Amino acid sequence: MAAEKNNVWEMTLSRLDATMDLLKIKPGMQKYLRQPRKTLEVSVPIKTDSGSIEIFKGYRVQHNTNRGPAKGGIRYHPDVNLDEIKALAMLMTWKCSLVGLPFGGAKGGVIADPTKLSANELEHITRRYTFEIIDAIGPDKDIPAPDVGTNAQVMAWILDTYSMDKGHSVPGVVTGKPISLGGSQGREDATSRGCVYTILSTLKVMGIDSTDLSVAVQGFGNVGGNAAKILYDLGFKIIAISDVSACLYNKKGLNPFDIEDYFKKNKTLCGYSSAEELPREEIFGLECDILVPAALENQITEKNAGGIKAKIVAEGANAPTTPEADKILKQNSIFVIPDVLANAGGVTVSYFEWVQGNLSYFWTKREVNLKLRDIMERAFYETYKFSSEHKVDMRTAASMLAVSRVAEATSLRGIYP
Amino acid sequence: MLKKIECFIQPLKLDSLKDALIDAGVEGITISEVSGFGRQRGYAQGEKPNRNVKFLPKVKLEIVVDEEILDDVTKTIVKLAATGKFGSGKIFILPVEDAIRIRTKESGISAIT
Ligand SMILES: Nc1ncnc2c1ncn2[C@@H]1O[C@H](COP(=O)(O)OP(=O)(O)OP(=O)(O)O)[C@@H](O)[C@H]1O
Ligand SMILES: [Mg+2]
Repeated sequence: MAAEKNNVWEMTLSRLDATMDLLKIKPGMQKYLRQPRKTLEVSVPIKTDSGSIEIFKGYRVQHNTNRGPAKGGIRYHPDVNLDEIKALAMLMTWKCSLVGLPFGGAKGGVIADPTKLSANELEHITRRYTFEIIDAIGPDKDIPAPDVGTNAQVMAWILDTYSMDKGHSVPGVVTGKPISLGGSQGREDATSRGCVYTILSTLKVMGIDSTDLSVAVQGFGNVGGNAAKILYDLGFKIIAISDVSACLYNKKGLNPFDIEDYFKKNKTLCGYSSAEELPREEIFGLECDILVPAALENQITEKNAGGIKAKIVAEGANAPTTPEADKILKQNSIFVIPDVLANAGGVTVSYFEWVQGNLSYFWTKREVNLKLRDIMERAFYETYKFSSEHKVDMRTAASMLAVSRVAEATSLRGIYP
Repeated sequence: MLKKIECFIQPLKLDSLKDALIDAGVEGITISEVSGFGRQRGYAQGEKPNRNVKFLPKVKLEIVVDEEILDDVTKTIVKLAATGKFGSGKIFILPVEDAIRIRTKESGISAIT
């Protein structure tokens, strides 16, 4: 386990090194960009419901803040470790840079299993963790958001703890808040909507007419579920939806709204009547035009990549494709919309939430969605243009663009003092 | 928030569209007979477009609605104005600063409902 986890950081660094070499970035700047700016490791003691003392370990890493305050999620998971958090913080720097948000990258986490903790204990962990990192965060410094194992309620606790410490309400300190505390309209399905905009732009540049196209969606959580619903509304045929329990398949098309109702009642996809049930791995081998991996990392591997028949793979999840699988997709001329681009809608609407919070002026859902479309389309076309001009794939183009902007900002600002 | 829809459709599609728009909650429509061209510059499928554009007859609809029903209205237009071919038309959506009903001097949403 530990070796594999170290790998995430090593892998992220080796991808960065390859990108920096392509960009011919000088060795000094390369060293600078490889390092996180700030790494906090804190211990988080709480009194549990049974009255005993328990100590958790937490992290907050800010990778680069030269383009703006740091932005990134906080995860609560038993497998959290510093290498993973460092890697994810760095990826946030590239993602914000690629879509042109005025943010750097950060990530945080607490080694804890929220499924085994009471709401009370989670609140204590959250408040104490917030207190331990309180000097590092703030609307102008570093703005946390929900991630694996955290949600709007956790953000509300962070907001409250931070505000109490400062003596006044500071809604801009976190995003992903409940709407009643200044959360943004449209955040719930922002990642999916952003992903769909990149798919529509891809169809446009490939000259594919969007009528009668079929889609397979892996994952039926927030990202996969909403992506399926938005695409269904746009007239795409959703032929398959899978999650941990099963892969639902119907050549004539599924209704994701209906499946959602079924899932809410039964807590599983198994047994849904208007579809054939396949083993869940088979989602990757189905005849379809568009495949949306929206579940976990490392799902498309050298074992299944060769069987993918889709023309377009839109990475709704983070890092769903292994580097080996990526080569196979490239050989088979499959158009991959890389994760940094395809799932950047979430952080984009987080940015809108931060802007609205700082202005204390709120937008309608329609305004949010139109602004999201503008940002996603611009990021897509910039990446596509770069990829055509430099004859590199979309993933390479996205990293090169993102890293070059951060390098430029860093070199313009210079080294302090 | 008030929005204005300006759309250009095939004249033959107007008849079925107007009733559906009323069902969607529209409280007023202005139409005009106009001529226009799109990407094909007025040339039919198979013809090779050149610099001499052909203006073809279209109907222009102007509809001011509340943002609440905007999506329903545009969906209705897209569904009923479609011909499956080039030249089915286009919808533009514009922000409207304000509206005033002359008789009552009502303004904003009250002026259009
Ligand atoms: N950019 C535009 N500005 C103003 N009017 C336009 C514009 N594009 C289209 N119109 C009006 O809409 C009418 C219908 O356009 P049309 O449906 O042919 O658009 P198109 O872009 O050519 O799409 P298609 O390829 O489906 O034909 C035109 O005759 C013109 O009156
Ligand atoms: Mg035309």
